[in-house]
Amino acid sequence: MFTLSPSVRKSASLIYHFAERESKARYKRSLLGWFWSFMNPLTTVVVYGFVFGVVYGAVAPTTDNGNAENFGIYLFTGLIVWSVFTGVVNGSMGWLIGVSELRKKIYFPTETALLGGAAANAVQTMLEAVVLIMIMIVLANISWTLIFLFLALVQAMLFGLGIGFIASVFNARYRDVQYLIGILLNVSFFLVPIVYTPDLLQKPGVPAAARILVEWNPPALFVEIARDAMYFLEVPQWNRLLAASAWAIVTFSTGWVYFRDQSMAISEEP
Amino acid sequence: MSGTIQVHDVSKKFRLERNRPSSLKEATLRIGKKSDADDFWVLRDINLDIPKGSFFGLIGHNGSGKSTLLRLMAGIHRATTGTIESEGRLSALLELGSGFHPDLTGRENVYLNGAMLGLSRKHMAESMDTIIEFSGIGEFIDEPVKIYSSGMYVRLGFAVAVNVDPEILLVDEVIAVGDEEFQRRCMGRMNQLRERGTTIVLVSHNAQLMADLCDRIGWLDHGRLIAVGEPDEVIGQYLDHVNTKGDNTLTTRD
Repeated sequence: MFTLSPSVRKSASLIYHFAERESKARYKRSLLGWFWSFMNPLTTVVVYGFVFGVVYGAVAPTTDNGNAENFGIYLFTGLIVWSVFTGVVNGSMGWLIGVSELRKKIYFPTETALLGGAAANAVQTMLEAVVLIMIMIVLANISWTLIFLFLALVQAMLFGLGIGFIASVFNARYRDVQYLIGILLNVSFFLVPIVYTPDLLQKPGVPAAARILVEWNPPALFVEIARDAMYFLEVPQWNRLLAASAWAIVTFSTGWVYFRDQSMAISEEP
Repeated sequence: MSGTIQVHDVSKKFRLERNRPSSLKEATLRIGKKSDADDFWVLRDINLDIPKGSFFGLIGHNGSGKSTLLRLMAGIHRATTGTIESEGRLSALLELGSGFHPDLTGRENVYLNGAMLGLSRKHMAESMDTIIEFSGIGEFIDEPVKIYSSGMYVRLGFAVAVNVDPEILLVDEVIAVGDEEFQRRCMGRMNQLRERGTTIVLVSHNAQLMADLCDRIGWLDHGRLIAVGEPDEVIGQYLDHVNTKGDNTLTTRD
């Protein structure tokens, strides 16, 4: 029989606690609670679809069956992945600050606060993924390739946590970091083909370096994998899968090691 | 062995940065320049062996490093050099509102503390009545702890700390905040725990209390462990030292 060591069990219950707290805080004092979790992504599809698809006349890429060729849906598929990443990066800094007072008075593994927050985000993301899957079922654009959506979400989560581990430690010392990260994320949003299609970069005049940057930056890889899985219903290219997994694992491990090394110092910040 | 605390050559340095940069901009501007940081050694070369089931007291002037040593034992800070090994479930009541999150209710905080000590929700649910009863918090248990009085904070904190079957219990001065009756209950409970084999480390300025409770006492002075031994003996030395120092200040003032 598989048994968990006491320290793992202890961490698990703390992660659960922090996840629960984060989830409760999200819809505190709201009557409809989790209903908003469905409303947000739904309105996003409609509004973005209208603004980019109708007002700007952006054309969604063609697919084999042509059933889901709508820019709002194309965009939403990418946005889900992007928001996991940014949600965890931005959240991490707040989650660590949120427990720093507590950590000065009692010992507990600090990473549980970040992992708990990430778990709450994962639940939120699952709801968004359910919305996407339901839309695709209605539009009859669904295939077994949807498992790669979950892979992309896990990759984006791990990558975001890796960055979040490092950013949160810096932010505990200098609160400027959260603003800096906010700006960097805003800029990077446009380095990921979410509100535009990657073929836009095939136009003459676009430097090759920009094309490579947009095609191979980690969040873009995750987004493209999700698109292949849910929009084009194709198995993602193996080199893309490999690069995305490598980014996710290496970034997460680096962040984890750094955080474990530095987190004891959190209790000594004034 | 479970329930022991072993302190080997422990020193703790805090950085005193009078002009510590508080923003990234300041920090960047300062790169390459010499830091204003002064190292302040709160503890120096501490060696201490606290056997299982003993009641150990720490005395010393304000700022002598007692609380820092307790925090190192609790795992809140990391020793700069040396090692501290403590085995067994460690429960600590270090300062006002120890380990409580202000926005959570008393009950939620009890569960949170339990989780931090590695106790299951079920276990905590079983101890809940005892904890509420011991703390005398009553129906306030379902109110956020931020509205608690300082006495209520300490009472709930202590109630949790002693009702989680600790193998090691660390208690800082805090119980002094409770009223007479509560303090007596705390003493009684600590004696009970000791009889069950819990190792207890207590920090207090109350020499009489320390002499009554402790098996052994350590005297810290400016971060160094001056003496460890029989309570009467060490307390005597400490008080003599305080008295001569008091006399000296009086004479120099003359």
